[in-house]
Amino acid sequence: MRLGPQPRELIDRSQRVLFTFDGRAAGGYTGDTIGSALYASGQRVFSRSFKYHRPRGLLCCSGHCPNCLMTVDSVPNVRVCVEPIRAGAVVEPQNVWGSLDRDALAVTDKIGGPFTPVGFYYRTMIRPRFMWPLYEKVLRNLAGLGKVDERHHGHSRYDVEHRRARVLVVGGGQSGRAAALAAATRGPGVVLVDEGMRLRGAELEGVEVLAPARALGIWEGGLVPVDAGGVLYRFRAERIVVATGALEQPLVFPGNDLVGVMLPDGVRRLIRDFAIRPASRAVVLASDDDALEVADELREAGVAVPRVVDLRTAPLGRIEAKGRRGRVSAAVLDGRAVECDLVVASAGRQPSYSLLAQAGARVEYEPSRGIFVPAELPAGFEALGAVTGEGCATVHPLRSSGARNGDKSFVCVCEDVTTKDVDRAIAEGFDSIELSKRYTTVTMGPCQGKLCQLASIRLYARTTGVSEATVGTTTARPPWAPVELGLLAGPHHEPARRSSIHFRHEEAGATIQWAGPWKRPYAYGEHPEDEVRAVHESLGVIDVSTLGKILVEGPQAVELLERLYPNRFGDMKPGRIRYGVITSDGGRIMDDGTIARLADDLFYVTTTSTGADAVTAWFEWWNAVWGYDAEIVNVTGALAAVNLAGPRAREALSRLVDDPDDVAGDAFRYLDAKELDVAGVPCLALRIGFVGELGYELHFASPAGEHLWDRLVAEGAWPFGLEPQRVLRLEKAHIIVGQDTDSESNLLSAGMSWLPKLEKDDFVGKLAVEHVARREEVERLVGFTMEEDVVPAEGAQVVIEGRPGGRVTSARRSEAVGAVIGLAWLPPERCEDGTRFEIRVDRRTVGARVRHGAFYDASGARMRA
Amino acid sequence: MKDIFRVRRMWRQPGELKRRYDVVIVGGGSHGLATAYYLAKRHGITDVCILEKSYIGSGASGRNTTIIRANYRTPEGAAFYRESVALYERLSAELDFNLMFSQHGHLTLAHSDRGMVVSQERAEVNKLLGIKSEVIGPARIRELCPQLDLSDRPAYPIMGALYHPPGGIIRHDAVVWGFARAADRLGVEIHPYTEVTGLERDGDRITAVETTRGRVEAGQVVSATAGWSSLVAGLAGMRLPITTHILQAFVTEPVKPFLDVVIVSGQLHVYVSQTDRGEFLIGAEIEPYTTYKGTGTLSFLEYSARHVLELFPQLERVKVLRTWTGLCDLSPDYSPILGKTEIDNFHLSAGWGTYGFKAAPIVGVTLAELVATGKTPELIAPFALERFHTDTLVSELAAAAVSH
Repeated sequence: MRLGPQPRELIDRSQRVLFTFDGRAAGGYTGDTIGSALYASGQRVFSRSFKYHRPRGLLCCSGHCPNCLMTVDSVPNVRVCVEPIRAGAVVEPQNVWGSLDRDALAVTDKIGGPFTPVGFYYRTMIRPRFMWPLYEKVLRNLAGLGKVDERHHGHSRYDVEHRRARVLVVGGGQSGRAAALAAATRGPGVVLVDEGMRLRGAELEGVEVLAPARALGIWEGGLVPVDAGGVLYRFRAERIVVATGALEQPLVFPGNDLVGVMLPDGVRRLIRDFAIRPASRAVVLASDDDALEVADELREAGVAVPRVVDLRTAPLGRIEAKGRRGRVSAAVLDGRAVECDLVVASAGRQPSYSLLAQAGARVEYEPSRGIFVPAELPAGFEALGAVTGEGCATVHPLRSSGARNGDKSFVCVCEDVTTKDVDRAIAEGFDSIELSKRYTTVTMGPCQGKLCQLASIRLYARTTGVSEATVGTTTARPPWAPVELGLLAGPHHEPARRSSIHFRHEEAGATIQWAGPWKRPYAYGEHPEDEVRAVHESLGVIDVSTLGKILVEGPQAVELLERLYPNRFGDMKPGRIRYGVITSDGGRIMDDGTIARLADDLFYVTTTSTGADAVTAWFEWWNAVWGYDAEIVNVTGALAAVNLAGPRAREALSRLVDDPDDVAGDAFRYLDAKELDVAGVPCLALRIGFVGELGYELHFASPAGEHLWDRLVAEGAWPFGLEPQRVLRLEKAHIIVGQDTDSESNLLSAGMSWLPKLEKDDFVGKLAVEHVARREEVERLVGFTMEEDVVPAEGAQVVIEGRPGGRVTSARRSEAVGAVIGLAWLPPERCEDGTRFEIRVDRRTVGARVRHGAFYDASGARMRA
Repeated sequence: MKDIFRVRRMWRQPGELKRRYDVVIVGGGSHGLATAYYLAKRHGITDVCILEKSYIGSGASGRNTTIIRANYRTPEGAAFYRESVALYERLSAELDFNLMFSQHGHLTLAHSDRGMVVSQERAEVNKLLGIKSEVIGPARIRELCPQLDLSDRPAYPIMGALYHPPGGIIRHDAVVWGFARAADRLGVEIHPYTEVTGLERDGDRITAVETTRGRVEAGQVVSATAGWSSLVAGLAGMRLPITTHILQAFVTEPVKPFLDVVIVSGQLHVYVSQTDRGEFLIGAEIEPYTTYKGTGTLSFLEYSARHVLELFPQLERVKVLRTWTGLCDLSPDYSPILGKTEIDNFHLSAGWGTYGFKAAPIVGVTLAELVATGKTPELIAPFALERFHTDTLVSELAAAAVSH
């Protein structure tokens, strides 16, 4: 089957490459594609079609059409016509029951054809309703092409490279190469991208050639991702030259999908690139000079060419291909049969304008040449060569009008859509190209319209009697060609934040969990309640480095904060701390934390662990609007923080500071902020009580994290994790923003009516808070204790007369309280202290009673001790 | 059966616009068409016309990711969508058009404590309202979707999931076509390529609608224009608390059945299903910026691909075929704005964000009832535009933002 050496062949006959195909040994040469090697070895049927399971053979040999999709090394839907041959590859047919040559599902073509007109599924299998899942199962199994290898667990290597070019030329044909060379004479930074094999390793002076590589599309701001196999180049270029050429368009006639009906370029590639004699007798139906040349090339390759028709001039009306077992056996031209095993047919060339359209070019129809051309290119883009329409024209691709009894005429080979289907869709009222596309699925298959859009538009125009310009095209959507998910995903990095003390937690055997962007210890042992007990009875320490930490400094820092928060800060003395809540302009609770005044013009603000970035952005945004003389610095990552809490906290701390008097009760009161050297580490110590016992939050430079942690543990502090902290704070009825509140919660209903200072001139959300104060209350957040020893789910519903009437946001069993306690949103009329209500737990309801105030140490004596 | 072989128009060829209609519906998507259908079917109001600026279903109805579910977070939302799913279940038979509703179940994955709590809350609300929904652990997830990577390899290991058995996917275009055909057969006029350019207002009433094909007088006007809602309301001099954002999605090449259930991950901001054609249909989060420009971004594709592979590493070599965008009309509380407005005869279906298509039949039923009777059905009372004046919002962020 191979010809003698061809002048421009890509194969290296000295290097034989072996692989397996459908369980048999197969081979070719280095430089072959899997497709060319199989063709050379006599394989003609390459796939079975999507719907009718008709045999299909090579058509375009350029990786565009669906006809050569196979599974290679367990990767489905590989276009073997452009997939380089490699030793040991396992190549298998797909979407076949049986073999490529005998596919049991081909029965859908024989009997299913007349019974499955377009829209068939919409009109059938409706009743009885319970049968649909069964029908669907069958349909699902018939659909799809290749099979995903379920055992494959990924992790191929993919890289991403950000590139910049002065000139990026897409398309390495004559005009693309010329443009690249010309650009190179004016300086460096010229890159040429071409999707074919021919430019692989090519050298153009001053030009970086990427081939085979494919520009996937043109995205925002002229971003061009290039698929170069295992690497995705993300190109930005000063100038983008699009020289993507044109695509040969199939002719539409009965039997136009038979094995052996090919596009001229595909035939040329087999001869020129792979030195293959494609057939023994060929009929050529040409619509341009290129196709006529292919007739000559065929003859030179020793193929008999009994008939060549130039469709531009010949008055040929009717074309039909006849086949035997799916392979072409004759071309019938105006009723006269010409025996052949190859029909080379094209309607001419249509510019590949997709990239330009994606970039924003308009696409218009040129009736004289029967093509769509790009117009009005956006700035920074240039189009050259055939993509502009230069040298392109098509004849009307439809040659089968009036055919009623012949074989099917395919407008779209990907989706098995025939002319009859499109006609029927139009007759049914799907009378715009977009509607018709969705109903028939024409252009929605693997080629994405490359080989079917023009034909479908022209068929549509002819049938409805409107012009092609009126019909218009469907939107050109990226990617230009299918691209692997793995390549888009790139190398596998999922960022996680860890505190500087993190590895101490791992060493201590903590269970680590996600908490927003952070990895944090859930608990250090099997029994979080032990950690709770340690805090209550003795001493605990928790890593709270994840808290957001923001410095606000400047002469107007206080004005800024007063306007950002509903709280008042102007009356705070340096060295004092206040709890603050940020509200949105709608008065909704956004975040909470503590604000320490370190000096007249310096504040240290903490936020929730997940809120740091959003709060910083919020501060900066408002300050940009108001223009106060204040600076905002997010120091979250720079500082670590721990909370040392428990009745022994003062005693332990006093042993770690230079002067124990610094931490004596009067010298360091509840809600004081103070600079202290702890175990030699300069710290900002905040005396606050989130967990309800005497406690000190120490903030210090991250690198000292492990040192300070170790010293605190050595002083007898038990590490405690997030879960014990949740119990401890719940015992104090302290809320967690985002858990006990949602995106619509406001201060008043969350039980913080004391917090907003409405007498202030303004603060973000003031209007809304005032409004809420005036309107009837809808719900309120209150504490409750359960009547039984069951813990309702967080999210459990409060049931009132059988309907959801409220919800539990937090619930835990508390040893210290001796009951199951929680927080819940209730209707205001049920919020009196002691009111009984019911919570749904599993399939029953359990009683609970409202409890105002903290569950543990209601007076706060312990944390103020 | 005979309909299979007989070629019959789905809907009449549009004729000239009449001078006046009892009801003019702006927007020929699933909501507008459903409203017209139920007006005709349940209330005998057939002097109805639908004005669509492009082809029917050209907006969000034809661009969504086809997921149907009722597992919302608020009792108001869950009750509303429960009725929608119930209508969808009977809709193929009612419209005599196979909408290919496959209810293989819907899993919202949780990768953190917080995710588990949100799942739990939704399950509790749902169960109380009779919606099948439960929180399940990794063992049960493995039974339902053995393809998921449940190991501790992923950056965000799966801790559990909210399982919603009636959830699934439907053929979205078929919903549009089914309603359009049924409405047309009951006498409703559908006018594609007829853009509304003005709303004539006389005090508290809209008197006429101006279009690119002339002026029509209207008894009542309904706007069901999703991403364009604030622009259409603007024609009547009304401001809506709505911002318009884009949402992107893509499909892969078709492969053999691999995934039956719908998989959603809020933390990874991605949702995955496999259509009956074999394509994976993948969507992500709404874009944070506001725009009407329908061009997508590469970063969306990269981000989504990365996160799909976190869940299904086997899909590494499956290829992305086509991407697209749609417009979303987002309300401040992630709940819809449905029903009456300050203009007496102008009614709204808007503020749908990413969850409008799921509501199409129930929107049709309730809006038709409102138009026919002048009374707001109880089911949609919580979604009144007025709630932004009374500040009684319906917080659906937790279940609607990313959770398809």
